[in-house]
Amino acid sequence: MKPSKIDMSKQQQEEVPYGTLDLLILKTLESMGKLHGYAIARRIEQVSGDSLQLSQGSIYPALIRLEQEGWISTDWGISETNRKVKFYSLTKAGRKQLLIEVANWEKSTALVARFLEPST
Amino acid sequence: MSVRRALARLFAIAGGRTRLDRELESEVRAHLELAEADALARGLSGEEARREARRKFGGIEQMKEMHRDRRGVSWIETLIRDFRHGLASLRRAPGFSVIVVAVLALGIGGTVAMFSVVDAVLLRPLPFPEAGRIVRIWEAPRPGAVNATAAPQFLAWKRLSSDFEAMSAEQQVSATLNDSDGPVRLAGKEVSAAYFQVFRTAAQIGRTFTSGEDQPGSAPAVVLSNATWQTYFGSDPRILERNVRLDGIPCQVIGVLPAGVFDRDQTEFWKPLVFTPAQLSSQTHWLTVYGRLRAGVTLAQARERLEAIYAATLETAPLEERKGAIAIAPLAQLLVGGSLERSILVAFGAVSLVLLIACANVANLLFAQGATRRTELAVRAALGAGRGRLVAQLLTESLALCILGGAAGVGCAYLLLHLAAPWLAQSLPFTAEVALHPRVLGFAAAIALAVALLAGLFPALEASFGNLADSLKRSERGSSARHIRVRRAVVIGEVALSLVLVAGALLLAKSLWKLQQLNTGVRIDNVITMSLDLPESAYSIPRKAAYFYDAVAERIRAAPGVANMGIATQLPLRWIGNGEAMLPGGIAKLVRVRFKRVDPGYFRTLDIPVLAGRGITDQDREGAARVIVINQTLAARLAEAVGMKDPVGKRVRLSSVNYAAQTPMMLDVEIAGIIRSERTAAPGDPDPAVVYVPLAQSPSFHINLLVRTRQEKAAILPAVRDAIRRIDPNVALADIATMRQVRDRTLSGASRPAWLIGAFAVLAVLLAAIGLYGVASYSATQQRRDIGIRIALGARREDVLAYVLGGALAMTAAGLVFGLLGVLALTRVMRSLLFEVSPLDPLALAVACVALAAIGMAAGFLPAHRASRIDPLVTLRDAG
Repeated sequence: MKPSKIDMSKQQQEEVPYGTLDLLILKTLESMGKLHGYAIARRIEQVSGDSLQLSQGSIYPALIRLEQEGWISTDWGISETNRKVKFYSLTKAGRKQLLIEVANWEKSTALVARFLEPST
Repeated sequence: MSVRRALARLFAIAGGRTRLDRELESEVRAHLELAEADALARGLSGEEARREARRKFGGIEQMKEMHRDRRGVSWIETLIRDFRHGLASLRRAPGFSVIVVAVLALGIGGTVAMFSVVDAVLLRPLPFPEAGRIVRIWEAPRPGAVNATAAPQFLAWKRLSSDFEAMSAEQQVSATLNDSDGPVRLAGKEVSAAYFQVFRTAAQIGRTFTSGEDQPGSAPAVVLSNATWQTYFGSDPRILERNVRLDGIPCQVIGVLPAGVFDRDQTEFWKPLVFTPAQLSSQTHWLTVYGRLRAGVTLAQARERLEAIYAATLETAPLEERKGAIAIAPLAQLLVGGSLERSILVAFGAVSLVLLIACANVANLLFAQGATRRTELAVRAALGAGRGRLVAQLLTESLALCILGGAAGVGCAYLLLHLAAPWLAQSLPFTAEVALHPRVLGFAAAIALAVALLAGLFPALEASFGNLADSLKRSERGSSARHIRVRRAVVIGEVALSLVLVAGALLLAKSLWKLQQLNTGVRIDNVITMSLDLPESAYSIPRKAAYFYDAVAERIRAAPGVANMGIATQLPLRWIGNGEAMLPGGIAKLVRVRFKRVDPGYFRTLDIPVLAGRGITDQDREGAARVIVINQTLAARLAEAVGMKDPVGKRVRLSSVNYAAQTPMMLDVEIAGIIRSERTAAPGDPDPAVVYVPLAQSPSFHINLLVRTRQEKAAILPAVRDAIRRIDPNVALADIATMRQVRDRTLSGASRPAWLIGAFAVLAVLLAAIGLYGVASYSATQQRRDIGIRIALGARREDVLAYVLGGALAMTAAGLVFGLLGVLALTRVMRSLLFEVSPLDPLALAVACVALAAIGMAAGFLPAHRASRIDPLVTLRDAG
């Protein structure tokens, strides 16, 4: 999987860690329910306390892939600006996948953490 | 990635992905709007808000590219990619591709052409609405025999039966039309007014007959076929305002039929059938009756009730007519006789064998191709392609080949049907429209797909199985023994199938030859035949017709190059339709005879010898004592029936039909002579008893001229035409054919598919030879090292030649054994097509085997020869 597009002009902000955008999107949809693309992007920014520099557009390629994997489903709805937009929600398979991704994430962070901990 | 991207674009252009792109576009727009609204809410100005929204979104175009990339690659995309790849690799080996496509085109083309015949004749319903209800009705005087119908019977059936929506009688007629290029003879039918109701056919222009138009006193009307309207009237849109002179009688054109089925029927015009008072009381059986059953009426019901009606009408009929039953058969069954169906199915079976052989050849070529591509496949496998992907890719390649081959095959079929059109029109029922209908094209597509699977699957599995990594190491030397075994088996199968076809073709050819050798009892060489009709209006009394015959005979005999000429109402060898009754000893001893009218020149022209008494002479004319000449068969039958040992000079009573009035009468005639029988029955059937009546004493409107020439036949035609024009410029000649053609058309019958199957056999042998050659040369190439070593160790060139040739011959021999088993299995089918030839005729089978063995030898010789020329030094160095 390719790294998501990032804005190189803001080096001081954190990039989206490799492979984590999927996890962030799935988690967002799990906690917030049905959302449209902009809301997902805003939510990720807000949760990260604006410390994560996300090109908002980069969520769309991630969304289409998640949709084709069958982890999220889409519906058409009306946005706050009165425009037809796609709303995304988590599917059953998506919830399972989220568990797997979270477990993977925890495993790898735990592994890394053990290396970084000062040995006693 | 670039391939995928290119494909995605390709799809976008093709319209497959534009929907997703449009959706993304609108999502992006909504996103930017929402972001802008948020920014405005935070207090930014309009322009700043827009810029802020765009900045936070990131690069839109890059995102779209990525979006396209991320969409999973669908199976269709894979297929198309494989297909493009397949086409590209076909382009890399153009020679191979051309050969495969050509082989497929021949196989698929032949099969598709034959299928279109099967479809038109056997599968497609007749081109009339609810055609299943159209039936033909006969009288059935004796079990197994059917007879035409007399007018009173037809009218009684029509009046009394309630099982038919419409019932129509018809009679074939012809009429002369005075075209600007001179008189032409048109074939037509006189039909009851209900005729077109039976077939439920409406006119394209004007109308068809209305009831009452076939009653005496109605104005002469004519319906034209579409082809006639186009050919003779230049598609005149105002045709209904025109009067057409048929035989000099002005007729009102009331309608033109739509193009299609009635154009293939050999009928060019239809006139109402108006019965004369004489015909209304005549018991002559002359009408062909068709009916359309009412919905729900079965054949058996209709027959039963018609028989009751028939029995009621019989009380007034002459004695010999009283036993009678009715026969009814659906039109479809009549049009497609058992013999035609069998011929078509056998030809289709034969062409399917050719297709199988073509398929085997392609499989073999793909095997060879697969062997050379093992390295490429191994690389792809090493890069992570699964076996399934490799097989799919190879199959897609063979699919690409088969689609090309199928397309070329359809072109091939079109060409074949175009070339065979005259032959098809002659041998198929007129209701069959042979064309590349959608169903036929669907069949072609199915065949191409099946061939792709059949021919592609094994080579694909073969190429992807086995240790591919091994082939990387061993390069092209790595050919498994299994591989060559499969290819050998395929070639053996090809040889076997070819033998079946060749043996079948030879058997049919021998049967045809037997038919040609059949003693016909008449002279065949240098005789040309033609027919003409005298217009009834101009020849209303018998004497006029007699004068015409005399004048024609005299003028034609005087023409240079003419050796002799004769006239007869029926062509020699053709079945005589006119049946009459001879009463040699009172009504109880009835002898059924066939009735043929001939002029004095007939026996001499055809070299028919007079066995006793005399033939017909110029003195046997109107006013002279009535005489007849009988054939040997009738003489024998008379001896058997009434003990008449020496019939010459005896007097008998004979039923006959009156000139013009078509009423029967009984004649007292003297038997003047006996001639040797000429063949008029179908091969295998006994000759019928025939009575020859002097044409001058019993003239006919329809006659055939038989002209025997001294040399070149066609050269005398202008002289004949000129002679007739000088006597009557309104009489047209038609049906010009040589006696040889008449014989072939009459006798070939069941052996008709002989030429077709012969052609298929040649094709099959050609394909099998290519297959043999391919395998022999391939295995020789594979064994170059072996052979090189053998030569280096002192093997002589002859030994190498024998070694390689031996391989090819072993394959041929195995194929022949299996082929003979196939021939054995097909005996029953073949027996029905053969005349006096056993389906296991040893000579034909031996010739087929020897021919195939010779071809096997020839196919193996070139590779063997090449192998014997191998320079051991070169091979060993190359291979090392």
